Amino acid sequence: MAFRISLGSYVPADSVLHRLDPRSKIVCGLAIMVSVFFIRTPLQLAFGWAIALGLVLLSHLPAGKVLSSIKPIVMVLLALSVFNLLLVDTGSTLVALGPLHITTGGLWAAVNYSLRLVVAVIAATLILLTTTPTQLTDAFDSLMSPLTHIGLPGHEIAMVFSLMLRFIPTIADEASAILDAQTARGGALAEGSLVDRVRSVIPIVIALLASSLRHANGLSRALDARCYEGGAARSHWHPLEFHARDGLSVAVTCVYVVALLVLGSL
Amino acid sequence: MDRPLLSLDHVTLRYEHGTCALDDVSLSIAAGERICVLGPNGSGKSTLASILCGLLAPDEGTVELLGERVFGEQGIDFGAYRRVRRRLGLVFQNPDDQIVTSVVEEDIAFGPENLGVPSTEIGARVARELHRVALDRYAKADPSNLSGGQKQRVAIAGALAMEPDVLVLDEPGALLDVRGRRGIMHVMDQLHGAGTTVVHVTHFMEEALAADRVVVLAKGRLVLQGSPREVFFHGDELAQLGLEEPFTARFAEALRARRVGVPWTCDERELLTSLRLANDAGLLASGDNSKRPAAPAPAHNPQGAAIEAVGLSYSYGDTDAREARHPALDDVTFTIPRGTYATIVGQTGSGKSTLLRLLCALETPDAGRLIVEGIDTSDRRQRRRLHGRIGYVMQHPERQLFAETVLEDVAYGPTNMRLPADEIARRCADALARVGLTGREQFSPFHLSGGQQRLCALAGILAMEPDVLVLDEPMAGLDPHGRSQLRAILAGINAQGTTVIQVTHSMNDAAISKQVIVLNEGQLLMQGTPEEVFSAKTFDALHASGLGLPDALTWALRLKEEGFAGLGEPLTLDALADALVPHTPKPVITEGVNVNGL
Repeated sequence: MAFRISLGSYVPADSVLHRLDPRSKIVCGLAIMVSVFFIRTPLQLAFGWAIALGLVLLSHLPAGKVLSSIKPIVMVLLALSVFNLLLVDTGSTLVALGPLHITTGGLWAAVNYSLRLVVAVIAATLILLTTTPTQLTDAFDSLMSPLTHIGLPGHEIAMVFSLMLRFIPTIADEASAILDAQTARGGALAEGSLVDRVRSVIPIVIALLASSLRHANGLSRALDARCYEGGAARSHWHPLEFHARDGLSVAVTCVYVVALLVLGSL
Repeated sequence: MDRPLLSLDHVTLRYEHGTCALDDVSLSIAAGERICVLGPNGSGKSTLASILCGLLAPDEGTVELLGERVFGEQGIDFGAYRRVRRRLGLVFQNPDDQIVTSVVEEDIAFGPENLGVPSTEIGARVARELHRVALDRYAKADPSNLSGGQKQRVAIAGALAMEPDVLVLDEPGALLDVRGRRGIMHVMDQLHGAGTTVVHVTHFMEEALAADRVVVLAKGRLVLQGSPREVFFHGDELAQLGLEEPFTARFAEALRARRVGVPWTCDERELLTSLRLANDAGLLASGDNSKRPAAPAPAHNPQGAAIEAVGLSYSYGDTDAREARHPALDDVTFTIPRGTYATIVGQTGSGKSTLLRLLCALETPDAGRLIVEGIDTSDRRQRRRLHGRIGYVMQHPERQLFAETVLEDVAYGPTNMRLPADEIARRCADALARVGLTGREQFSPFHLSGGQQRLCALAGILAMEPDVLVLDEPMAGLDPHGRSQLRAILAGINAQGTTVIQVTHSMNDAAISKQVIVLNEGQLLMQGTPEEVFSAKTFDALHASGLGLPDALTWALRLKEEGFAGLGEPLTLDALADALVPHTPKPVITEGVNVNGL
């Protein structure tokens, strides 16, 4: 079960964020994610964080849930900021230890690059945590409908994406079970030369592939049995509808982006 | 009779490589009927289920579904197939493959959405079906956090929300524990009561007793059909096909073989009545006949302990997305002597699988000490040495198969142990002979039948010649023949001195082991000999943790309530029959190994 990481699957709650139309949620979320790349000053960073924390409060989600979802990515960002700290060589030197020096520029880069990305990660996580996979599929379906007009399978792409989210935990459990079994048969992953290690992966990868094919077979039988025939004739339990709150959320997001840019030029 | 709802006429279906999946099968099913399909693994049951719900067209014959001729001399009528499929529901073995989204209620809505049902009506259908399968509280839950039985009920609700005229269930209980299967049977009873036509494919003979009609398939041919009573009357034929009779029928037969004048029956109440009559007529024993041996004192075993666990605790860290409500294992202490046959029982989520992972040194305990074959598993360096000495057979071990040939796959373990080539060859040959796969060395493991794949995976572990063999629900999904074959193999290995530790859902299997360990919510509930663990006194505790008693003991307790005295607490069918009829010479009841005579 070591493979099973929290990938931001839906957490039910009653909040404005849960009720927003998934399409406006995705568009606003994308705007916030792109906007973080314009953050250059401490004031902007504080503003971005204020917005991110405000959104977490609005979502009515337990803070622990959000934290555990962003944790793996935050770990990666922390590692990156260590590189920034040591490698960026602008501004005045703060500490010099032999070949290592830490400069003011490096310190700011380390802080800013990681913290502003956390804002983007929070935005993305909130979308995943407050939107059911079905809503996500429908939203992508709708947002990609221009593709359908030029002959690309917009709905099917969205459906595949949704099934992928659904099967990640299943396949992950399977992978750790197979890893256990092959380890117990003496196949060790972390030993020997590179060639040995690559060779030791084969029994796991092939068994996992065979297993995934079995799942695919089962899934196709299930989709047939449940009369799934693509997007055309489907109805929707909760059809997507824009409400006043969606317009409002887009407007607020626009104001936020403009304010962030203005703050940067102060 | 009305026009049948589903009807197959001389239907034949061949696979590409020429074997017949179905051979000249004719079958018709009337509205409101409850049909049970029995047959050994590979007899064509699943193919029949697919044809009945319109997912597969045969090669020859005529198929009429819901009054439409979908297949006949004119070939496949795709339009008709599309129309009838919308009114036929299917649920099959693995619930994980049938659930398409990660919210329960959204998943139930998926089918109706595909049918184009108006959105206002979908909500009503979802609520109705959630209620029917008793999952109202889980509407917003993530199915991957549910138990297998709950997931399967989600799948059933998803099929029912499409309001099918017929519901086909293809081994819905094969991967579930006792409680999960009971839940599914309950839903089926309800559906049948409400007039839905139900076709149920199963490996569990007891489940067939609830059907109106039982159909038996073997090698693609329909060999027997009739009421459960009529079909199970053909006990010998069923045994030859690798099936068995329900416990009640075997019990009646065992009594008859002991010359007690009870008529053959597979109905519990009927047997109870005739036993009462026989008792009143003085044909049965009275007084104390219980030959229950006093539980052997846990004598000091000269060979020492295979496993010594003291205060074991383990919980999954936060790498696990599912919140751990309680530690997976909490202060578990027990000893398993060398050379014994131990079983571990407990319902899903009781910590059985975690315990096995610790025993196999795949994980180290958070607290406590675990000594396996004299090696402390918390020592990383020592742990590697254990992997050759403990054989771990995971749940559905066929999933570990990967090599191009059976021989290569079986040789994987011994090769990793860096044994000399001739030793590897000898061990592989021995292991394959033991599981009965000699002659298939050059087959691809993926071309073996389901039951053979499991045996091939087992051979891969046996070839390592472990001192301790650990198995996680090895019988799951096997037919009665496969189960008794595996039982015999394991008994043989144990007889040669290997310690066997088996996780099982079957109390009957636990009853024939030498030591039973009962887990409940991560804690050790009980442990001891089967006689100590299974008794009238322990019934309440076992029941509260979702477990039961072996069939024989359940019967004995019921008879005791009826005023039969001195039966003791027999754990196997033979012991039960002997307690009832003490002084006759013991006749042969069933052919085959005695481990089969539960």
